[in-house]
Formats: sequence, C-alpha cells, structure tokens
Amino acid sequence: MRRLLGAASPQSLRLMALFLALLGTILFFSTQIDGYLSARMFNRISTSAAVILPVAVGQAIVIMTRNIDLSVGSILGVVAYVTGQTLAALPELHPVLVVALAMGIGAVAGAINGVLVAWGRVPSIIVTLGTLALFRSFLVEYSDATTITTASLPAWLVDLPQKSLVSVGPLDIRVTVVLALAACLVVGVGLSRLRAARRFLAVGSNPDAARMAGINAPAVVFLAFVLSGALAGLSGFIFLAKFGNITVVAGLGFELKSIAAVVVGGVSIMGGSGTMLGVLMGTVLVDTIDNSLTRWELVSEFWRDALLGMLIMAAVTLDTLAARSLARLRGKAGGST
Amino acid sequence: MTQPVLELQGLSKSFAATQALKDMSLSVMPGEIHAIVGENGAGKSTLIKIMTGVHRPDRGEVRVEGRAVQLRSTQEAQAVGVAAIYQEPMVFPDLDVAENIFISNRGLGAVMRWGALYHAAEALVAKLGVTLDVRRAASGLTLAEQQTVEIARALSLQVKVLIMDEPTASLSAHEVERLLSIARALKAQGVAVVYISHRLDEIFRIADRITVIRDGQHISTRPVAEVTEDGMVREMVGRAIESFAVKSAPNPVGEVALSVRGLGRAGVFRDVSFDLAKGEVLCLAGLVGARRTDVGLALFGIAPATEGSIRLHGRETRIGSPGQAMALRIAYVSEDRRKLGLAMTLPIFANISLPSLRRFLRVFGLIDRKAETAMAEGYRAQLDIRAPDTGGEVGKLSGGNQQKVMLAKWLETRPEVLIFDEPTRGIDVGAKAEVHAIIRRLAASGVAIIVISSDLPEVLALADRVLVMREGRQAGLLGIAEATQERVIGLAAGSGAGVAA
Amino acid sequence: MIRRLQSWEGGLLVIFLATLALNASFAPEFLTVQNQINLFQLSIEKIIVALVMTLIIVNAEIDLSVASVMGLSAVVFAYLLNLGWGGGSAALVCLGVGLLAGLINATLVARVGIPSLVVTLAMMIGYRGFARVLVKDQSLGNFPTWVTDLGQKGLIGPLPLSLLLFFALLVLLGVLLHRTGFGRQVVVIGTNAEVARFSGIGVRRVKAILFVLSAVIAALAGLLYAARLGSVRGDSALGFELDIITMVLLGGVSIFGGKGSMLGVFLSILIILNLRNGMALMNITGHVQTGVIGLLLIGSVLVPNIVNDLRGRRARV
Repeated sequence: MRRLLGAASPQSLRLMALFLALLGTILFFSTQIDGYLSARMFNRISTSAAVILPVAVGQAIVIMTRNIDLSVGSILGVVAYVTGQTLAALPELHPVLVVALAMGIGAVAGAINGVLVAWGRVPSIIVTLGTLALFRSFLVEYSDATTITTASLPAWLVDLPQKSLVSVGPLDIRVTVVLALAACLVVGVGLSRLRAARRFLAVGSNPDAARMAGINAPAVVFLAFVLSGALAGLSGFIFLAKFGNITVVAGLGFELKSIAAVVVGGVSIMGGSGTMLGVLMGTVLVDTIDNSLTRWELVSEFWRDALLGMLIMAAVTLDTLAARSLARLRGKAGGST
Repeated sequence: MTQPVLELQGLSKSFAATQALKDMSLSVMPGEIHAIVGENGAGKSTLIKIMTGVHRPDRGEVRVEGRAVQLRSTQEAQAVGVAAIYQEPMVFPDLDVAENIFISNRGLGAVMRWGALYHAAEALVAKLGVTLDVRRAASGLTLAEQQTVEIARALSLQVKVLIMDEPTASLSAHEVERLLSIARALKAQGVAVVYISHRLDEIFRIADRITVIRDGQHISTRPVAEVTEDGMVREMVGRAIESFAVKSAPNPVGEVALSVRGLGRAGVFRDVSFDLAKGEVLCLAGLVGARRTDVGLALFGIAPATEGSIRLHGRETRIGSPGQAMALRIAYVSEDRRKLGLAMTLPIFANISLPSLRRFLRVFGLIDRKAETAMAEGYRAQLDIRAPDTGGEVGKLSGGNQQKVMLAKWLETRPEVLIFDEPTRGIDVGAKAEVHAIIRRLAASGVAIIVISSDLPEVLALADRVLVMREGRQAGLLGIAEATQERVIGLAAGSGAGVAA
Repeated sequence: MIRRLQSWEGGLLVIFLATLALNASFAPEFLTVQNQINLFQLSIEKIIVALVMTLIIVNAEIDLSVASVMGLSAVVFAYLLNLGWGGGSAALVCLGVGLLAGLINATLVARVGIPSLVVTLAMMIGYRGFARVLVKDQSLGNFPTWVTDLGQKGLIGPLPLSLLLFFALLVLLGVLLHRTGFGRQVVVIGTNAEVARFSGIGVRRVKAILFVLSAVIAALAGLLYAARLGSVRGDSALGFELDIITMVLLGGVSIFGGKGSMLGVFLSILIILNLRNGMALMNITGHVQTGVIGLLLIGSVLVPNIVNDLRGRRARV
C-alpha cells in the first residue's frame, strides 16, 4: 500500500482523495435525505454547479500565477445585468453573440484588474478588493436600481436552463452544464497542451526563475486576469439564463465560493500547480454540500457558510502539512558558506 | 589552429572604489575544460558576470567564435551560446523535470507534445551520462539533481560555453563524481566548460588548462600537465608586501570562555572542536562551501547543532534559538548586511538598540528615546560611524559604516563571545583598517572573538589561532606563529600533501 | 518624526481640509463639532478596528476576518441578551468569542505557517457562517434600554462610550506602535522578518499577539455596533473590511509592511468619514460611495508605486 502511495504523484493522490470525499458526501446525504439519488437532484446540482464552474476555472488560473481575484462576483453581476439589458433591447441577437458579449465584458473588467496587478504592481488582494467594490458600484449606477426581469428576456434564454443537450439514461445533461463543462475542458486541455499556457504555472511556481528563463511575467499575469474576467462573464451568462431576474446584488459572494472550489480542488494557494479536473471535482463537492444542506433536516441550512469556511481551512491546512512532510521526507540539500 | 570559442581581451571593470578586473585576457577553446582558480576577491564573479552579460566591461572586448559581441543580458548571452550555472539553481518546483529543461526554448511550437518532450529530455540527460527521472516534479530533486537540470537546460539551448561557478560547493562526494562525469560528457559533445572552483584535486582531475587569476589580473594559463599544486597555490597567493601587518605572536589571553567538541549539524558540517579563551581571536578560514557560516549559525541558535557539545564557562549548554544564545551572551554579526543584518529602512539608533531593546524600556514598555539616542551617539563616536546623526536610515550609509552599525548593534548586547562573519566584506580599505582596530580593542577588553573570513591577509592579521575548515569538516587548527598563507590555503583546498595539520 | 510629517501625512492634511471645504460649500452646518462627532459615531466600529488593522499591516500581515468577527460578536451579544443574560456577562462572552477567533487565526498563521491572506479569507467565511447559524435570516433586537442608551447617548458630555473608546485606543495603540518596545518589534518584523529573527526577536509570538488583539478588538467593535444599532442580522458588518483596509492604506501604511503612522491613519479616517458624508449630501448612493472607496484603496498603493518609479527614473538619468 505504501509503495502504491509512494509511486503515485502527490497530484494524483490529491485527486483521488477528492473523488473519495465526493463519493462519501453523496453516499452520506443519500442516507439522510429522501429521493437524493434521483434525476431531479442531479439536475439541481448540475445546473447549480454549472453557474460556479466557469468562475472557479478562471479563479484557478489566477491563483496558479500566485494571485487572487476577489472581484469575480461583481464581474458576474455586471455581466449578467448588462447582457440582460442588451438582450431586452435587442432580442434578435444570436445566442453565440450573446455569449461572446458576456465574455467580452468580463474580459474588459479582467483587463482592468490585470493592468493594475501586472504593471501597476499593486498586490492582487488590494486591486481586486477595490474592484470588487468598484464594479459593484458601477452596476448600481448603471442599473439605476432597476431589475432585469424574465419578461424582458427572449424565450430561448429563459428556456435554456431546461433544455437538455443529451440524455444519459434517466439523467439529462442540460445545455448550461455542457457550456460550463466545455469551458473547463478547453482550459484544462489548454493548460496541459499549450506551451503558452504552461507559463501560468511557471510564473506561479518560481517568479524569479520565470524572469531568468525569459518569460514575460507581467504579460502572463495580465492574461490570467483577463481570462478570469471572461470566464466570470460566462458564469454571468449562465446565471442570467438560470435566474432571469437580476438585481444589483447578483453574484454577491461568488468569489468566496470560487476560491473554496479551487482550494478544495487541490490548486495550491501558493501558485504553480493544480488541475482543472480537481477544480471540477472541487466545484461539484462544494456545490453538492451547499445544495444538500438546504434539504437536510438535521442541520439547518444556515450552516452553509460556516462549513464552507471550515472546508477551505481544512483543505489548505492539510495541503500545507502534507507538502511540508513530503519535503522533509525527500530531504533537501542546502547551500551556504 | 582552431579558433577559440570564447575570447576575452583586455577586460577592465571597476565598481565605485574597487577595480575588480584589470586588463584581463582569456581564451577558451571549443571542447576544453578550462579551470579558473583564484582566491576570494580575485575577480572571478565579475568575470562570470561579464561573460554572461550581467555586467558590461569598462574596457575590453568579448569575442564568441571570432565575432565581437556586446552582451546586455543573460538572454543575449544564451543566444550566442554562453550560459552559466551557479550554486543556487533556478528550477520550477511544480513542473516536471522535462518541462524545466526546455522552459527557455523559444522555437518549440505552440503545442506541447509530452511524449516527445519526455524523450528529448531523456536523451539530453543521457548525453550527460547520468540518470534522472524526467517525468517527476522538480520539487523532489536534490540540489545536485537541480544542477543537472540546469546543465541539461543549457545543453538544450545548444550552449557552446558552459560556465560552472563553484558547482561542487554543496555536493556530497558521490555527487561530485557525478558532476565531473557530466563535465566530461559535455566535453565529448564539443561544449567548452569553464570550471571555477577552489577544489584543487577536482581541477587536476578534469581540467585541460588552468588559468590563475589574482587581484583582477590574469597571472598564468598552462596545460594541466605543466602545473604543480605548490606552484599554483603560490601564484594564487603571491603578493607584494601586505598593507596589513601579519600577527607574529598571539596576545595573552584569559580563561576558556567557550569550549566546543565534535560539534556538528547533520548533513551540513561535523567534527568541529576548539577552545576559545577570553580575549582570544580565533579565525575560521576556508574556501567557499567550507560551511564556516554554519558553525556560526549553530553557535547562535539559528540552525542549531545536532551533535557534539558546547560548554560555556565550563557548563554544558544547548543553544536552540537566537534568544537562548543571546541569554548566554553570544552575539553573531551576519555576513549578509542587507538581508539578515540590518533593517535598511529603519534609523541607525533603531538598528543598534534592536537586540538590546529590553534595556531601554521603562514603565509600560515605553522606549526611553533619550537613552537610546545617547547610546547610539556613543557608538557613533566610539566607532567613528560617518553619518550626520543617528536618526538617518541605515540604508543610506556606505558599506563600511553599515558594518560599524551592525557591530555596534551587537556590542550593545555586551557579549562575552562575539562571532563576526566576514567583517570587512564589501567595504573599502580605510574602513577595513578601522574595523580591524575595533576587533583588536574588543579582544584586548576580554571579549572572546570568532572571525569568519575568506580574506587571507585579514585572517593572518587578526588571528591568534586559525581554524581551517574544508567541506564541512575541520581540516586543521594552527597557532598564528605557524600559519602561513600557503599552509592555510593548503589545508583549505585539501591537497594535504606535505602539509601537516 | 518631524521628517515623516512631511510628504504623506502632510498631503493627507491638505486633502482633509479640502474635503471639509468642499462639504461645507454644500452644507454650511457641516463645520460644527457636533457634526464631526456624528460622523465618527456612524462609523465608529469601523474606525476602531482600523486602529488595530494598522498594526497588523505594518507587521506585513493582513486580517480579512475582522468584519466577520464583528458580525459574529454582535450576533452572539444579541442572542445572549434575548436569552435573558445580563449585559455584562454577555459582553464578556463576546470578547471570549473574539479571543477564540484570534487564537484560531494566530495558530494557523504563526504556528502552522499558512499565509494570513488565506487563513483570514477562509475564516472570514467561517465566522460569518457561525453568525448565520445563530441568527438565521432574521434580525435580533429587543435589547434592554440601558444597552442602547450606552451605545447611542453621550457618556461624557456629548461623547458616547464608543467615541471615548476610539480615542483611548487611538492613543494607546499609537503609543504602542510608535513608542514601545513591542511596537518597535512589530515594525522590524514588517520591514524584514529575517533580520528580526537574527536579532533574537520572537517573530511568531509577536504575530500571534497581533492576531489575537485584532480579533478581540473586532469583537469589542461588534458589541458597540449591536448596542448602537439596537438590532443585528446575519449580515451585520458585511463588507466592512474594505473601508477598514482603505483607511489604513490611505493613511500611508505600506501594504508590504514596515512603514506607517497612526497619525496618518487618523487623518485618513477623517478624510474617508467626511468624504462618505459629503457624497451622501450629494445624493450619491451607498454602493457608489463604496466604489469610490475602492478607487481610493487601489490609488493609495498605485500612486506611490508610480511616484517611486518616476523618481527612480529621474535618479538614473
């Protein structure tokens, strides 16, 4: 057993542990809640996770470069609202254009973050804490306290959450779920196959070495934030489709959920490592716990945030301690006079 | 007649007050292993920096394969085929070894082909004649393996000249063998290796030619067959009358203050034993990688010893933290002013009072600013620290004055044992003399002093006794009367032949 | 000290006076002392926490969980009062909650060594979560009158308890940071933790103390918040950390640690309070006000960066 564990890479072990945790959670809740293992529950959770997944993917990219993006919730809200409003005015707009619009707006917001972090050299925690407020205030001003309602949206958008792309047995895979999964897949493949994408990991793994190796670190960081914004925009689109009614508080708190999903999914908070498979599983786990708690009679749903916080803390602590004992086991040769 | 792959002609380079290189000329032939030897301060690191494009020479020319080049960055140097590896490798811990190797390559295409990458990496590593798992993350590698990755990286960039700066300083004997065989493999590939090291035995084993430099000047270049160790050492060291008078006899000393037996720290250094008396100056001499600083760090509790015994005034003690060391009246003046010794943005008086802050606290922990400033002013006068007042930022002072502030900081703790690591590194001659005078005065007042120094004349000017270390072990303990430069370097460099401890 | 009063703090003074002048042009009654007291009152809990956040940031750390600790403490207070507890014992329990939260933060940061950004971000979610467990989606009020009186009415002259506490803390923490041995250690650790370690300073101990202090004061602020408002909800004090951190950074405290003065933070507090009020007078909504604060936050780090760059470029030429 030990040899098996020793042969597997830390990443694989982490993913396996995550998978087991997910399985365990589902099994546990199936004993507590009636009708848990049903198609309806699957739909609930999958469509709900579909909203968070793109945001989590974008957050993962940013965290891989050793930064953080707290503004994604506000970006999501802005995109959902502006897209909704645009659609209300131009209902004939082609769906693909709508998605492009949503991601475009998100990308612009992300670019603002990116410029400030990469070339302004303002720490990402400060920039995104500020833009969290800035983007939200933009939304309030822009919306002038009006709400987007489903009545003003074209039918195809309102019906989108119900539409299934494909059915696997009794389970329907909704369009929004496919969209989110596609984004996750594209980024995942890109990170492992595109040489340019590897630079995200390099910059986060050792910023000094990245510079020495001729990598343009600021440009890489800028791109990470642009992608994070664009993906938050995609989430905004899916959010708009799912809820229809958009108020100024749309997206509030999503940044924390995305960070939880990413951290639980095995992306190192110190940067340099992580997989999209992990992010996917982390998102599903966090969202499953969230959705299951609302239906669990034993524990009030108001435990959600408390559990979320403890989950993040547990994941980070375990990862930190594991990394430390691994380093100690392997032993490091130092160097000094 | 083959053309040299790298030629340095008439290089001169000065930094502020010091002239690092004076009319240095050197030629490296393709596929040769060319060793450069010289003492600390002979100009080796400046030479490397010019060859790799970090610095530009004030005068002189660099030629690669006959063509004159102006190197303005390490990237430009790599582009013409000159690369260097240092003691601290730069790897990406989270990426695979194979990816680490090819990270700097520009023309490899947008898409990663992992299979091809792994194969190419394995082939490269095989060319170096060693085994390394290219599919694992670089975080698990030992220092020696990380070095191998860097060498492979240079090879992937089709390097023509690979400079190795003290590559074996932190390696075990087995790893050293590995590195030497890698150097030979590179030679077989037609790559020229510029091998800079103090380890004379290694140099004799792999070098084709040996260049000796001293005080920034080229002294000699000879095929290895024509070089004798004694001759080389003499060339490294031979200089005119010293500006510092050499101590001829030890000063009278008092009782034993510090007694160390078999001191060691696992994997770092071992078997260090000496007695240090009050008023005595013991110099730890040795070359880069001898681990002298680690002895200091162990005595000060930063990196505590794992074996051996320490006795202070006859009583056995364990020193596990700086706080404990300070309670035992041990002080350690670090060799790295910038990173470990001084808080550069804080005022002089704040730096000086830092370890002794408790003495300046009154009721409620309030700092007695008047007493603090008075104390700082006292040191300014006593040590002749050149600053308008003690309220200025330490970072604005010259190197010599910063050194004095560091010394004042530790003197204020009224130490019984003072460990001074590289007391005159990076300061001018005038300040050097002042610092020496201060050390002598301290010894005369009864402080037991350990000076860690790579500056041989300094060692011989200050020491009552010289403890020579080599590769983490004690090579010898000499009284000043019997310590000559040749003898010390002989012990430090490890030839041992004909030189009794 | 005199040297530092020029540049940043001096600039802040100018900005403050300009803000006052601008606001006065909208509403002349602005310039009364009573009005300034009211301004302080409205944000008293934030500015109290800003004082201890100054120490944390000078130490090159950050505590994002303060607003959540405030909320949790306020909720616990309301909860216990509604259970019939006496005000004094309820308050003590709240401070105990703060102590516990501080110890958790301190252990994870100083002992386990997880970056404070991550720890306090996670606990920000966690502590607020516990608040929501207690209060669910309702609001809790029904405080005994003496509690609300203490929170709202003046204690000494026109100055209520909270304001007195603020000024007391301003002086105490200011002295602590600038005049005591402990404060010196905080500054050195923030400047260069390795140098501090090599000088025999107990770096872990100092950090632990700061995180405990931060949480306890946040808990205290939560108490005052509950008393002042008369009722609490699950989202009490939500988002306060933005204002708090902005107050500190605008005050000239460097996010990278080692630099900053309590005087600067005080001036920055004056500016931000008057700015928010002025914006309210101009009928700018709370959300947009927050956006402006966000802009100030980014600017307070960006502008010095740019200025340093320009200065460096000039020096090189």
